[in-house]
Amino acid sequence: MIELVDVNAFYQDFHVLKNVSLAVEKGQIAVMLGPNGHGKSTVLKSICGLVEKVSGVILFEGDTITGLGSEKLVDMGITYIAENRELFPQMSVLENLKLGAYSRSARAFEKENLEKVFDLFPRLRDRRSQLASTMSGGEARMLAIARGLMSNARFLAMDEPSLGLQPNLRDEVARIIKQINDQGITLLVVEQNIPQITELADTLYVLEEGSISFAGSKEDALGNDHLKEIFLGM
Amino acid sequence: MVIEIADVIISGLINGSVYALMAVGLTLIYGVSKAFNFAYGSFYSLGGYIAFLLFSLSFINNYFVVFLLAVPILLVFGYFVEKALVAPLRKRDDWEIKVMMITLGLALFLDNSFQVIFGSRMKSLPPFLEGGFEAGDFYLSHQDVGIFFLSIGGILLFRWFLNNTRTGMSVRAVAQNPAGAQIVGIPKEFVFAATFAISTVMVGMGGILLAQKYFITPMGGWDILVKAWVITAFGGMGSIKGGLYAAFIVGMLEAFVGWYFGMTWTLIVLFAVLLTTLAVRPQGLLGKWG
Repeated sequence: MIELVDVNAFYQDFHVLKNVSLAVEKGQIAVMLGPNGHGKSTVLKSICGLVEKVSGVILFEGDTITGLGSEKLVDMGITYIAENRELFPQMSVLENLKLGAYSRSARAFEKENLEKVFDLFPRLRDRRSQLASTMSGGEARMLAIARGLMSNARFLAMDEPSLGLQPNLRDEVARIIKQINDQGITLLVVEQNIPQITELADTLYVLEEGSISFAGSKEDALGNDHLKEIFLGM
Repeated sequence: MVIEIADVIISGLINGSVYALMAVGLTLIYGVSKAFNFAYGSFYSLGGYIAFLLFSLSFINNYFVVFLLAVPILLVFGYFVEKALVAPLRKRDDWEIKVMMITLGLALFLDNSFQVIFGSRMKSLPPFLEGGFEAGDFYLSHQDVGIFFLSIGGILLFRWFLNNTRTGMSVRAVAQNPAGAQIVGIPKEFVFAATFAISTVMVGMGGILLAQKYFITPMGGWDILVKAWVITAFGGMGSIKGGLYAAFIVGMLEAFVGWYFGMTWTLIVLFAVLLTTLAVRPQGLLGKWG
């Protein structure tokens, strides 16, 4: 569904991604691990049209999407869910969700998706008129995910959903990712603080210093001494 | 005495309402794109001159037609100014300063063009309503009432647009969180150009309204730029509500100071009040978007 071939990305003159290649199959969950500051977020942002300088080839369902802006990509069904949430602070929960359905293709499904999202996050239904800035960290995280779902996306790039979350909500996040995937949405998730999410992965990627250092299944990962060393300390 | 004070209050309210319309426009651009438009005052004169030109056409003899034509002209003008001059700078370092410089250049260009085309003599527009209410010595012209309600109507219409339309919501979204707006797929560049265009209409309409009471001159916009700027800083950069309060305070202050001490004192008092306010509250009255 999503394929990257030798993708390079830059912030000004800083070379962040070096020949990154990966693929996420339709209906799968791929999880990307790796140390902080090594470019995991940049991979997601490059796919979603949020990085100015990207070279290489990015394919979505076989079509090249490299260089397209986020307004086109969201319309096509590719949505980014930011690690720092990026909500609209002085707007209500409902307005935030409605803006999630801003793209042309999502508008027709706004009502339907709103119901779906409220079923997934019942608390948001109760707090629909509350300002986003007054929500707790956990609720704001839920709102960010819900806003992403409002775009009617077929591919979600989810960036560190555990950031700023109380430990007891981590199970909840893993459960929600499972439910989203069960609805047929393909996911690429950057996350390494929630083992339950790694458990869900069909494919694992490890990004170190801007390059993919490991790609494979969970079973392969467990047999990899280098991975054991850096992530499990074994 | 009582009637004089009533006149002063009315004058303050009417000027305040037009200032509010123009200050909301200025604070809109700043709130959404963090750009400061130095040509804002020249857009005020431009509105007046457009109306003057339209009236010089033989088949146009009422304000309804003038407004109907002036609004789209100003809208298109503002949109293309943003696209041609401001947008290309936004990708560069220190673009805010560069936008100030280029809009300053545009202001000088426009003002000199006005002088070349229309001459330096003052131009005036006919009043758009005749007659008035009379009660003894007290007189309130229909024109003043009309100007007041048109300005307030313009602001309310704008508020409605911000809160109830999809485009209005996307404008607020970009103002509150540009990165978030990009993530949900809002075309930021279009929103920047659209807000610039809307603010051009607001100040241009202000020019048409006030030109009926005062005059249109090639350099007349600078006074308006200074006032709109004072109001914006006074009310709080990017705060629409703050701008509204500040506009009426400035309108009233100007009217009372002008009446009591003479018109030469108005700007001095305005700046004194601004500096005092900013010394106590550097963010202005309501320094937040909303």
